[in-house]
Amino acid sequence: MDGTEHSYDPIVLEVIRTRVTSIVDEGAKVIVRTSFSMLLNEANDYSCVLTDDRGLLLAQNTASLPSFIGTLPNTVRHFIDAIGITAMHPGDVLITNNPWKGSGHLNDVQLVKPVFHADRLVAFAACCAHVPDIGGRIRSVEPREVFEEGFHIPPMKLLREGIPDESLLTLMRTNVRTPDQTVGDLFAQVGALEVMEQRLRTLMDDYGLRSLDAFADELYRRSDAAMRDAVRALPGGTYRYEMITDGLDEPFTFRIALTIAGDAIDVDYAGTSPQQSRGINVVYAYTFAMTAYALKCALLPELPNNEGMFRALTVRAPEGSLLNARFPASVGGRICSGDYLPSLVFGALHQVIPDRVSAAPGSPLWSMVISGVREDGKPYANVLFYNGGMGATSRKDGVSCYSWPNNIASTPVEVTERDTPFFVRYKRLRENSGGEGRHCGGLGQDILLESRSRTPMAAVFLAERTRMPAPGLAGGGAGGLGDVQINGRSIDVRRLHLLNEGDELLVRTPGAGGYGDVRERGADAIARDRREGWRYSLPQDGVDGNAR
Amino acid sequence: MTVPYGTPQAPNPGHSLGIDIGGTFTDIVVYDHRAARQYSLKVLTTHDDPVRAVMSGVGRILHDNGIAAGSVHRLVHATTLFTNAVIERKGALTGLVTTRGFRDSLEIARESRYELYDLNIENPPPIVPRHLREEVSERTQANGEVLQPLDPAELTHAVERLVARDVTSVAVVFLHAYANPAHEIAAATLIRARFPHLFVTVSHEVVREIREYERASTTVINAYVKPLAHGYLEDLRTRMGDEAIPAKLLLMLSNGGLTHLAEARKNPVQMLESGPAAGALAAAHFGRDDGGDHLLAFDMGGTTAKLSVVDDGEPLVAYGFEAARQKRFMHGSGLPVRISTIELIEIGAGGGSIARVDELGLLKVGPESAGSEPGPACYGLGGTEATVTDADLVLGYLNPEYFAGGTMKVELERARAAIAKLARQVGLPAEKVAWGIHDIVNENMASAARVHIAERGRDPKTYAILCTGGAGPAHVFYVARKIGVKSIVCPPSAGVASALGLLVAPASVDRVATLGMRLDRGDWGLLESAFTSLEREAKSVIADAGFPVDEATVQRFADGRFVGQGHDLVVPLPPGPYDRDDAQRTRAALQGAFERASREKFSRTPPDVPIEFINIRVSMRVRVPGTDIATESVAAAAGSAHKGWRDAWFPEVGYARTRIYARRMLRPGDGFNGPAIVEDEGSTLVVGPGAVATVTPSQNVRVDFS
Repeated sequence: MDGTEHSYDPIVLEVIRTRVTSIVDEGAKVIVRTSFSMLLNEANDYSCVLTDDRGLLLAQNTASLPSFIGTLPNTVRHFIDAIGITAMHPGDVLITNNPWKGSGHLNDVQLVKPVFHADRLVAFAACCAHVPDIGGRIRSVEPREVFEEGFHIPPMKLLREGIPDESLLTLMRTNVRTPDQTVGDLFAQVGALEVMEQRLRTLMDDYGLRSLDAFADELYRRSDAAMRDAVRALPGGTYRYEMITDGLDEPFTFRIALTIAGDAIDVDYAGTSPQQSRGINVVYAYTFAMTAYALKCALLPELPNNEGMFRALTVRAPEGSLLNARFPASVGGRICSGDYLPSLVFGALHQVIPDRVSAAPGSPLWSMVISGVREDGKPYANVLFYNGGMGATSRKDGVSCYSWPNNIASTPVEVTERDTPFFVRYKRLRENSGGEGRHCGGLGQDILLESRSRTPMAAVFLAERTRMPAPGLAGGGAGGLGDVQINGRSIDVRRLHLLNEGDELLVRTPGAGGYGDVRERGADAIARDRREGWRYSLPQDGVDGNAR
Repeated sequence: MTVPYGTPQAPNPGHSLGIDIGGTFTDIVVYDHRAARQYSLKVLTTHDDPVRAVMSGVGRILHDNGIAAGSVHRLVHATTLFTNAVIERKGALTGLVTTRGFRDSLEIARESRYELYDLNIENPPPIVPRHLREEVSERTQANGEVLQPLDPAELTHAVERLVARDVTSVAVVFLHAYANPAHEIAAATLIRARFPHLFVTVSHEVVREIREYERASTTVINAYVKPLAHGYLEDLRTRMGDEAIPAKLLLMLSNGGLTHLAEARKNPVQMLESGPAAGALAAAHFGRDDGGDHLLAFDMGGTTAKLSVVDDGEPLVAYGFEAARQKRFMHGSGLPVRISTIELIEIGAGGGSIARVDELGLLKVGPESAGSEPGPACYGLGGTEATVTDADLVLGYLNPEYFAGGTMKVELERARAAIAKLARQVGLPAEKVAWGIHDIVNENMASAARVHIAERGRDPKTYAILCTGGAGPAHVFYVARKIGVKSIVCPPSAGVASALGLLVAPASVDRVATLGMRLDRGDWGLLESAFTSLEREAKSVIADAGFPVDEATVQRFADGRFVGQGHDLVVPLPPGPYDRDDAQRTRAALQGAFERASREKFSRTPPDVPIEFINIRVSMRVRVPGTDIATESVAAAAGSAHKGWRDAWFPEVGYARTRIYARRMLRPGDGFNGPAIVEDEGSTLVVGPGAVATVTPSQNVRVDFS
């Protein structure tokens, strides 16, 4: 085939697109296979992409988390600006974990490799992974500046023409708690980039391509057209929605004005609370990613991510607000703010497409980091994740205890008891915690943990919706509030707490919002609620033998 | 194949019989060891009484070929009935008894999603609904110590409540039963004594591994299919006996091994993937002579394509899979089953896969399938959408006059019309669209294969590809080109090859136990006795099945990790017994084994962190006498294999006058160049331009290209 005069018909385009996607998925498998960290192996907390030579997204790996939409191409473009294409050479690998140029917190390290083919820079392979540890404080909302949150790597070269920067590696090993794993996982990423580079070159050889630009432009054009078609079908206008969340001393306000004008969507978060001197701020890239994610869920859930998909979308957030924090804001607990955004977008979109959105989930994801010193003097730290319910839709009840919009599995009870000083009394569905509605919100869960540690154990939380519940939609009720108790008393989840031997910690994750009027709930659904004992506030018939 | 052999009256110990019950067809295969000849038969599965189809088919195949029932010395069975019962939720009404506080583990599951953008996502409903899950007071700790004894009265009441709700099968899953199963054993004893009519499954007997959700999921699935397995396997054995077939019934396991009836009835969950396992073994068998040490087994049928990796003659084994996926091809959407199983991936790509235009205006193929009804447009059964089979017909790859060996009527014109409709939609010429469908479905399979191979850390260039299934041989050439594989092996009767895998399987028993031991402070006496105890269990199963225990080989494994790592790696260990007195040497040997495997997997030096063995496993295998299956010799050649010419489309040259060969007439030593097409009864091999095909002494067609 002729590389210069290539016509990308719907067949050739699809074949090459499938192949490009398999290249990023292959890169993803290399990361999973060669990394030590559980966050990469089990929680998919990484992303692999290919961009064209302009830093525009060609393909992103299939299982990539919402928070990575559009972030890596941004990083590539930052490198193009900061280093310049002419200063990039075959074998170079670029690195940064700057939250503003990456994906929003220091734990995510981004690597970028310029791909050369026939002596020309034709593309970039890039990946981002959550490393096991990046130094600084144990993750919580406590840090007041990003400097407390760990080792900060500005955009620079990790490998120069294949040679690693030993000074950087020494600094890194010195500044993190798990040098072997953290540096090891960096090289797992390098391995993924090399595989993607090789496979892309083979693809270009197979199809006789000298450049990817024509393929890319046609792919973007079609994706952009599909999104604009979907947007054009919506009634024009500005739709507003607002959510009050737990906040710190005072609640936070999240405000959205979503404007549909012809085939374009503008999202403006003006009116959202200002940035805080705690680690719950969000960088713009994360704000964009979460907004784009929600839009794709509602409009085109089955199409692949690429540059064209979000050309119709503009996202604005006032600089200095929670959703566009300025350096050196602390950003480690970004999920505490950023993960509200999809629900905010849905709240606005619900006014025009009520059947294509969901009520608010009982998230953001909850996590608890425990640390201390064992009797033998050895320090330990463990992180445990728990999820609330997923929001109901016009079609169905929300799933109980389901990670959304993030996607992190929970730690099994048997593993918790093996690896931490906790003894688990129960872990059960939180009956009645889902918002009522024609379709009910997913349930949260109750976990009762008892400390068996002879030495004091410190616990810090990322927990939301302990004061402001997940709202329902279309008349559906709010989900149950989350709560954390020590020995029967609710605690302030923003602060560090010490647990002594025998102390009981009750973690109650929030339920999700319901959808529609509960009086319209079907008889079958009510019968199931009663039989399964999920919702005892609904009329009881007293038959349930399992009720306690 | 109806050449009579031997005299029915004479006692002849020379036949093996394999039976594979699938969702649509039951395959029966007989191998005559003396004549090295094989007979096969396909009959429709009888769902109300699956044994009926088996017995009528067996009667027919024996009668038609003049084989005495008394000469069948080997009887091996695989089935998808249990898998289908789980998918269709047609198992027994099952109850679950758990440790107090944890009955919801089965429903809370892992808490992660298998799909990111679907707001109406649904988890597969738990096999046991909440109102059939009971809790009892008892507690064992992570170290195996009992904290609170089991309350027998509570247990009795709990089971009474389940029985009152018509439960017929009960699963018991207690926390940390992998570490100390005493409470589960006590519970099983009590339930069996008080409720003798109930089927009982306790978790540590099915999967003795840490992680309560995965263990519970596996255990309840076992309980769910147990009554079904019990009835029908017993029935099969009895009726085989009634037919005077003397062979003992052996069952194929998901890992490709065999076991005896008692074990299969106890843990039928182990048979869930027995059908695909037989297919992978058949592929390994056919590829033995011509495929080299590294083989990709590629099977493409009407709805799905399956791919497995065979290294050194052995299909790769995984230690878990998912049953009854909510979204068929979506990883994570099914119910976890922690048993050892042949590792394979399934792709929504088959002859019936439907082509359509998506929202981007791009051509897509599958995973939606026209199935067998209405089927591809060319079947003329009401299907109007273009499918892969329609494209293959239009491209000239398939012969409308010889479809399914000439037993089925298809209409080329209907295929052309369906493709033309699609061609108008995308504005391209029809032959381009037909090729596009072929090319896209191939790319879908090749992409899945590349990602799967990458996951194993293997290089596709070192592999040969072996094709089976009705559509496999027609697609293998361009799939191989896409993956970068350099040679193709196509076995005789590729369309129906998989049942033969039943007859080449070894007996095998796998056992696992959770240990949790750090190597830097290992107790080698404890480790050795843990292994010995697993080996004793495995040996007794092999002995019970009547196999020569002395010839059994044992491989020890450990699921190890670097302390702090979130996941385990299953690594082979050096053979025992481990020397407890020379602790230094034992530690060095075990550590070395783990580090080697770790280096191979992670491609780099492991960190300076202690190693911990979470689980230990033994895999005991013994070659079953009579599994030497040679490919049958072909009857004397009757004329040339070259049976004519047909126009077929190849991307390199467009439509080209292409030689057609009859598979039945090809003999070892024959050779030809592509482009060429080889027609077999159940499949058609397409050889593209530039390739060289030869028939090997093993009767395979081997295709090589640069």
